Amino acid sequence: MLELEKLYLPDKNVYAHQCPECGRLHYPSVGRCKKCGYRYYPEQDVAPRWEKKGYKFWKRVPLGGSCRLLTYTRIWALPVGFDQAYLDFGVVEFANGVKAIGRLAVDKPQIGMKLDARIGKTKEYLGQEHYGLFFYAK
Amino acid sequence: MRKVGVVGIGHTVFGNLRDYELIDILAYASLDAMRDAGIDGGIDQVIVGNMASGMFNHQIGIETALVSNLNLEPAMAEAVGNGPASGGSAFKVGYMAIASGLVDVVLVVGGEQMRAVTGWEATDIVASLEHPKVEYPYGLTLPAFSGMFARAYMEKYGLTERQLFILAVKNHNNAAKNPFAHIQLPVTLEAISDTPDSIIINPYIAEPMRMYHLCPVSDGAAAAILCAMDIADRFKKKPVRVAGVGSATDTYCPHNRADLLDLKAVRLAAERAYKMAGIGPKDISFAELHDPFAILELCEAEAVGLFEKGKAMKAMERGETQVDGRLPINASGGLKAKGHPVGATGMSQIHELVKQLRGEAEEGRQVKNPKYGLAVNFGGFGSNVAATILAKE
Repeated sequence: MLELEKLYLPDKNVYAHQCPECGRLHYPSVGRCKKCGYRYYPEQDVAPRWEKKGYKFWKRVPLGGSCRLLTYTRIWALPVGFDQAYLDFGVVEFANGVKAIGRLAVDKPQIGMKLDARIGKTKEYLGQEHYGLFFYAK
Repeated sequence: MRKVGVVGIGHTVFGNLRDYELIDILAYASLDAMRDAGIDGGIDQVIVGNMASGMFNHQIGIETALVSNLNLEPAMAEAVGNGPASGGSAFKVGYMAIASGLVDVVLVVGGEQMRAVTGWEATDIVASLEHPKVEYPYGLTLPAFSGMFARAYMEKYGLTERQLFILAVKNHNNAAKNPFAHIQLPVTLEAISDTPDSIIINPYIAEPMRMYHLCPVSDGAAAAILCAMDIADRFKKKPVRVAGVGSATDTYCPHNRADLLDLKAVRLAAERAYKMAGIGPKDISFAELHDPFAILELCEAEAVGLFEKGKAMKAMERGETQVDGRLPINASGGLKAKGHPVGATGMSQIHELVKQLRGEAEEGRQVKNPKYGLAVNFGGFGSNVAATILAKE
C-alpha cells in the first residue's frame, strides 16, 4: 500500500533544497547554489552522461511550521480555474531564512505577525490537484 | 561600435482590436514607421517583440508571417520574447545588430493582441510568467504581486492609496491628449477616491491596489526604423540617437529578494544605460516608466535615481512629474491609461521618446526642450528589465 501511494498519489509536501556543499537552502530548487555555486546533480534518466562519482546529493527539507508575515494581499480578479470570490496571499519568512509565497488564511493580517504554515489543496482543475502552503494565525 | 539612430516611428491605437489579426496590427505599426522614415523597403533585419502570440492567438513564427505580409523577403527576421519587456528587449537586439556592423537598417516592432481571449484567460496567460510550481498553481496573478509590493511599501514609507491615485489622475489626463491611448478620458480624484461611491466605480483588484491603480488590457503595436548614424541622411527625418541601452535580471521569484522593495534589475539596467550614454539621472529631461500598477511608476522613478528612495511621492504631489513640471514622467499616459499590450509596450515607450525629442507631441503633452529621454520596460515582476536612453542630435 505504501508503495502504491508513492507511485500514484501526489507528494503533498513542499520542499526547500539544501546545498550539500555550504548548507544554503533554496526555494524553489536551483541548478547551482546561490551562495557557493555548487551544481545540482542532474537526474540520470535525463542527463545520463553525468558522472555520479564524487557528487554530493542535495537534500530536500520540508517547509512548514512557524514563520513571519512579510507582506500580503487579497485579489478579486482570479485566473481560469478558480471560482472563489477572492483569494488571500502572503509572503513569509521561516526561521531557517527561507522565504515563500502561499495562501493566507488569517482574518486580520498584519505585517510582522507570527504564522503557522501547513499544507493544503490550492487548486483542483481538470482532474488535477495541487497542494501548497497555507498560512494560519498562531 | 557604430552609432545608431531612430529615423522612423509607427504606432497603432491601443485598445480593443480583436476584429483584426495580430499580423495586421504589427503590419500597420510597421508601415507607419516606414512611412515616417520615408522608405518602402531596404530593410535588412526585422525584429518582433511579442510575449505570447502562441497562447493569445494560437500563432507562432510571427516574425516570418510579418516579413511575408510586408513583402520584405528576404530580410532576416527574428522574434524576441521577454514577457512584458519584449519590446524593450527587441529594441536592444535591433540596436546590437546595427552597432555590431552586421546590418545597416532594422525594423523593430512590438505588438500583442490580448483581447483575442476572455479576461479570465488573459489573466491566466499573463500569470504563466510565474514559477510553474511555487507561484502559478496558487492562483497568483501579476496584480497580486503589485498588491503585496504596494502593501510593503506603504508599511515602510507611509504611502496611502489616495496618494497613488494622484499618479492615476495625472496619467489619465495625459492619455486624454494622446490619440493612441486606450483610455482617452480624464478622471478626477473625487470620482475615483474621495466620494463614498468611489468604491463602486473603483473596486479593489489586488488590495491595496484598486482598479484605477491598474492598467487596462489592450491590443496594439508600435514600431521603429533604426539605422547606422553614418547613413541616416538617406531618410526623411533627422535621427534621434540611441545614447544608451541596458538590461539586467533579478531573481525569477520576487519572494527570494533580500529586500522585497529593492527593484535591483531596474536600478542596474538604468545604471548600464547611463554609463553607456555617459550621463547620470540628473541629465534626464523626461521618462517613460513601466506602470501597469501605479506603485511601479513611483518605485521605478526612485530605482533609476530620479528621486531619493521614499521621496518620489512628495515630488509627484508637488507636480514635478507633470508634463509642465521639472521632470515629466509618462507624458504619454503611461501603461496606466495609454494601455499595455504587453509585447508592444517597450516599443510604444520608444515611440514616445522619439516623438518628444523631435518636438512632435500633441499640444498639452509636449515636454519643454527635452535633451535625453529614458524608457524603462519591466519584465516579469522586475525580473528582467530593459532601459533605453535616447538623445536629441
